[in-house]
Amino acid sequence: MASLLRSLILLLIVQSFLVAIAFGSKEVEEFSEALLLKPLPDRKVLAHFHFENRAPPSNSHGRHHHLFPKAISQLVQKFRVKEMELSFTQGRWNHEHWGGFDPLSSMNAKPVGVELWAVFDVPQSQVDTSWKNLTHALSGLFCASINFLESSTSYAAPTWGFGPNSDKLRYGSLPREAVCTENLTPWLKLLPCRDKDGISALMNRPSVYRGFYHSQRLHLSTVESGQEGLGSGIVLEQTLTVVLQPETTSVESNMQPSWSLSSLFGRQVVGRCVLAKSSNVYLQLEGLLGYESKNVDTEIEAHQLWKNAEFELSLKPERVIRESCSFLFIFDIDKSSDSEPFDLGLTWKRPSKWSCQQAPLHSSRFLMGSGNERGAIAILLKATESQEKLSGRDLTNGQCTIKANIFQIFPWYIKVYYHTLQIFVDQQQKTDSEVLKKINVSPSTDKVSSGMMEMMLELPCEVKSVAISIEYDKGFLHIDEYPPDANQGFDIPSALISFPDHHASLDFQEELSNSPLLSSLKEKSLVRSYTEVLLVPLTTPDFSMPYNVITITCTIFALYFGSLLNVLRRRIGEEERFLKSQAGKKTGGLKQLLSRITAKIRGRPIEAPSSSEAESSVLSSKLILKIILVAGAAAAWQYFSTDE
Amino acid sequence: MEEISDRLNPGITPEFDPKTMRSTKPGLKRLFITSSVLFSFLLGVPFLWKSVEIYRSPLPFHDIDSLSDQLESTPLRFPCNFHAVFVGFRSTDPDNLRSQIQDGINQLTHQSSQCGSCDFSLSVTVQNREDQCSDTLAHSSTTCSYRCGVIKRNGFSVGLDDTVDESLNDVFSGCSENSGKMYSVVVVNKENANGGDEVKAVVGKRRHAWIVGNGLEERYGDIVARVSEIFVQVFMNGGREEDSIQGEFMPVGSDGKIVLSFSLLNSNPRDWVYDWDFQRIDEALLAPVTKALAPIANITVESQVLYHTPKSSFSSWDKKLQSYIFRTSDLPFFVNSNEWHLDTSAGASGRSKILQFVVYIPSGKECPLLLQLPNVEISKTNGFISPMWGGVIVWNPGNCDKDSESPSRNTISLQDLEQIVEIFLGQFRQLFGFKSEAKYTTGLGTYKILTSERGFTEWELDVLSRKHTCFNLHSCSTTLGSLSRLVRSLPRMIIKDEIGEQVKYSLKAAKLAQSNASLGGYSSSASSSREARSLAENAFFHPSIMSVSYFSYEHCFAVYSPFFLPVVGHVVLAAVREWKRYKQEKAKYLTWLTRKKTT
Repeated sequence: MASLLRSLILLLIVQSFLVAIAFGSKEVEEFSEALLLKPLPDRKVLAHFHFENRAPPSNSHGRHHHLFPKAISQLVQKFRVKEMELSFTQGRWNHEHWGGFDPLSSMNAKPVGVELWAVFDVPQSQVDTSWKNLTHALSGLFCASINFLESSTSYAAPTWGFGPNSDKLRYGSLPREAVCTENLTPWLKLLPCRDKDGISALMNRPSVYRGFYHSQRLHLSTVESGQEGLGSGIVLEQTLTVVLQPETTSVESNMQPSWSLSSLFGRQVVGRCVLAKSSNVYLQLEGLLGYESKNVDTEIEAHQLWKNAEFELSLKPERVIRESCSFLFIFDIDKSSDSEPFDLGLTWKRPSKWSCQQAPLHSSRFLMGSGNERGAIAILLKATESQEKLSGRDLTNGQCTIKANIFQIFPWYIKVYYHTLQIFVDQQQKTDSEVLKKINVSPSTDKVSSGMMEMMLELPCEVKSVAISIEYDKGFLHIDEYPPDANQGFDIPSALISFPDHHASLDFQEELSNSPLLSSLKEKSLVRSYTEVLLVPLTTPDFSMPYNVITITCTIFALYFGSLLNVLRRRIGEEERFLKSQAGKKTGGLKQLLSRITAKIRGRPIEAPSSSEAESSVLSSKLILKIILVAGAAAAWQYFSTDE
Repeated sequence: MEEISDRLNPGITPEFDPKTMRSTKPGLKRLFITSSVLFSFLLGVPFLWKSVEIYRSPLPFHDIDSLSDQLESTPLRFPCNFHAVFVGFRSTDPDNLRSQIQDGINQLTHQSSQCGSCDFSLSVTVQNREDQCSDTLAHSSTTCSYRCGVIKRNGFSVGLDDTVDESLNDVFSGCSENSGKMYSVVVVNKENANGGDEVKAVVGKRRHAWIVGNGLEERYGDIVARVSEIFVQVFMNGGREEDSIQGEFMPVGSDGKIVLSFSLLNSNPRDWVYDWDFQRIDEALLAPVTKALAPIANITVESQVLYHTPKSSFSSWDKKLQSYIFRTSDLPFFVNSNEWHLDTSAGASGRSKILQFVVYIPSGKECPLLLQLPNVEISKTNGFISPMWGGVIVWNPGNCDKDSESPSRNTISLQDLEQIVEIFLGQFRQLFGFKSEAKYTTGLGTYKILTSERGFTEWELDVLSRKHTCFNLHSCSTTLGSLSRLVRSLPRMIIKDEIGEQVKYSLKAAKLAQSNASLGGYSSSASSSREARSLAENAFFHPSIMSVSYFSYEHCFAVYSPFFLPVVGHVVLAAVREWKRYKQEKAKYLTWLTRKKTT
């Protein structure tokens, strides 16, 4: 019986095998890892980890996987994500020293906290639902509070100011999200080797989080297969960008610090991830241009580059590639082993100085005004030194212009008056029509949606500075809407400044091996920079206020009501008569005292009132009764409250 | 008024004392005002009460209680039709046989009258050598009747169990299944002089079993016992052992879904990397199983390959076996939840059940890895199950020697995969409480059980649907019971209409499942019981139920007392004073009246 079953199974397998052969051989899932190291001019070192995982077009996505993470594939399948990028960042990218016009900075310089954008492949009416579900799924997957992006007050739908032009795009960011190991671990879980093997083994948590900047990014895009009846492929790109400060021992202050992988990370690479198709380490050195420009053409000289008078590498590179203004040393970590770990080091011998390419305009953003009522947001764009050298100018109408897109989201409690938008170019106010080429504003609705502003500026090339200011009123939040630390203030997400006519790319002069990192660097990417996050203090109420208000109003109401009732049942005539008779009898403590005093003064005996004693006894019994009543109420209250 | 009269009156009569008497009727105006204010306050209290009341959808508490009472007092039973055919018996009275089998069945079922068992009706046919029949039909006689002489004695030749099974199916195919399923046992007396004493008992893939042997008529009592045993232990209880996994642990999610997540774990990919083509296996082998189980659960299959996943227990080298050994005592520590990231299924949303099936490929340091059973034997399957979690199989690569520095990339061959899937199926059956081997042994003998390529035979599926219906109804009633207890214990909890409706529909579906079960609709009762359970769980886990209202009584008191305490004091005091005064004044007036009369 078992043999029968087995033969039947075999038959079925062979059948399906034949079917599979008939459909043609399939592509397989591919994974590759790379690390790019780059010394920065301000004595720091940039390490950029790049992992790419490709799933070929298939119909079994979300069900059967070999290398590609099943969770991501199911996410794509379930929410029909066409393209998505999620980044966790801590620290701010220093555009002046770390570069503002290269693909690394334009892709990996991200705003502080969490940024998420996604393009969906669903009908327009379902985009918001998909977005909400996606945020919840991602927050579960990455142990972060991405689910706060679910509420319609925290995300926006940019039309053209952000980058990818699509009406199914949603963008949101959480500036206050604290990023730490708990976000990195699930991110690493998506890699087939996690941090057990290969380049990712370098990710020693203390050294990664000690850095000046770290940004962990996940970008996924679907690739249409083009075939009928076949699903689309998925490309998952995971990058981690860290800026670290090598520990320096040299006394010379202008000397660049020497470093090695083990000194930077406290770990070494002992071998590649066996599942990776390629695993390379790249070292990018800028600023050697003047030194080597004459004699770099021949290959032998290029190979001698790694040991020269200026610096020395601890390992011999496989290849050296020349870029327009830098050199790229390529290392293969295949040869390393447990006994001989891959520990790339760079030793500087001479003080060396270079500068990074800058974006055409350097941007910053700040708040103006004081008080808790109103203020203004200003964005300042300053021309950088390298501006003259840049290409990408638009010479329309014989004029040289720079285009800059500004994309900004305002939370609803920042009530922006768009008519107060003022643009100053070189300290002179310009009318909108002069510099503003395009503007798209979607005003915020209180407690429903956030406001969004996209504008495209067209500036003359010789511009020195541009300032944009816009005034706002601070809104009042409902008492439930304040976060626990309301007095800390509220964050306005970063504005994005992008330059649509400027594209950054590394321009390699040689044909490259098909390394995904290099090909992504080679692609032209939009030059963009994020501004600072702004902290707006809002008026925070005294949170016990509602009870105070309730108590005071209730007391006033009670007083009013009580006196009204008393007035209604008052008998004025009777009281007057009573008072008269009282006056005749001279009762009452004070009056008695007064009459006594006057009697003493006058020298007459006191006529003791007969009724006063009886009345006082009644009064005292009433007082005792009242005290007992109050005490009883207090005891009952005490009993009631402790019972609960 | 009275003041004026007081002032006017004194001179009228000499005995008028203004302290104790009055000449006019006391006024009612102020009393009326104060009492109307008091009354309006009292009238306002219910309105205030209503306004601070939170919304609670009325739940059918009574129906919930009666459902659980009903399930407890009368276990759910399904109608089953048992039919025993005795072929080649010379002179046996069918009525006598029937009563004997009935007694046997009653004796066996008496021990376990559990939920989801059969409410059987028995009919017996005896066919003698001349192919003449005498029948005894059950009280609820079915339209299905055995046509005499169709079963031939020589049809039961040895070795062709599958064809016998098919032919029996043809014989009984005319049965309508209006009232429960029809199970039949055919006893064939061969009376071959040269044949041995051997009695062969086979349970088929459908709902038939047959016992073939020589000289059965002489071992009459034995045969009757075996027939009743087949009816009870196999067809009714599915060959489960009483102490094995209970029906309460049905590995089906409360939304009626199961996700079978298959993972291939390369514990150290530096030694070797194995891959599999699971999609093909899924299409060829698992699809029939999931299709067969469709009435019980909606099954989806996923697979993944994970790397760098060492096990967390230790294994020791055994010289005799030339392999590494792990023992059954190590099993609780085998699954390494730190490194085995199995649970990454976003597809299993909500309350689906995920069953993990893991193929563990040991690293070079622990290869080959074998499981030693408590009786020092080596496990044939080299795997184990964990109830409600799934199963693990240790699969050793063919060659444990690391040949080169670079890891070899291999794919598990189809033959190996097929073996792995066979073990999986066995484990899957075990998770459902069935035996994984094709044999069932009792004190009376051994039964051979034909296995289906779908993993589960029809009678096993019947057992599963019965148990599943029962389990679902039980779980539904306990969930609803705890919901009603919770709701009754928290009077300030908001209960939305949605919850009330879900409870209502859940009860409705449970009722439907019960009535379907009594009519013998196996799959319909299973599906409606599934619905009942899922609705009950939905109601219990409704997000709004988690947010207990913080508008507590203390809060209510704190908010309203600053107004109502002083005001109510005023109002009540005023009313009481006015009432006292009115009484006093009235007494004065009355004394005046009497005085007046006397004078």
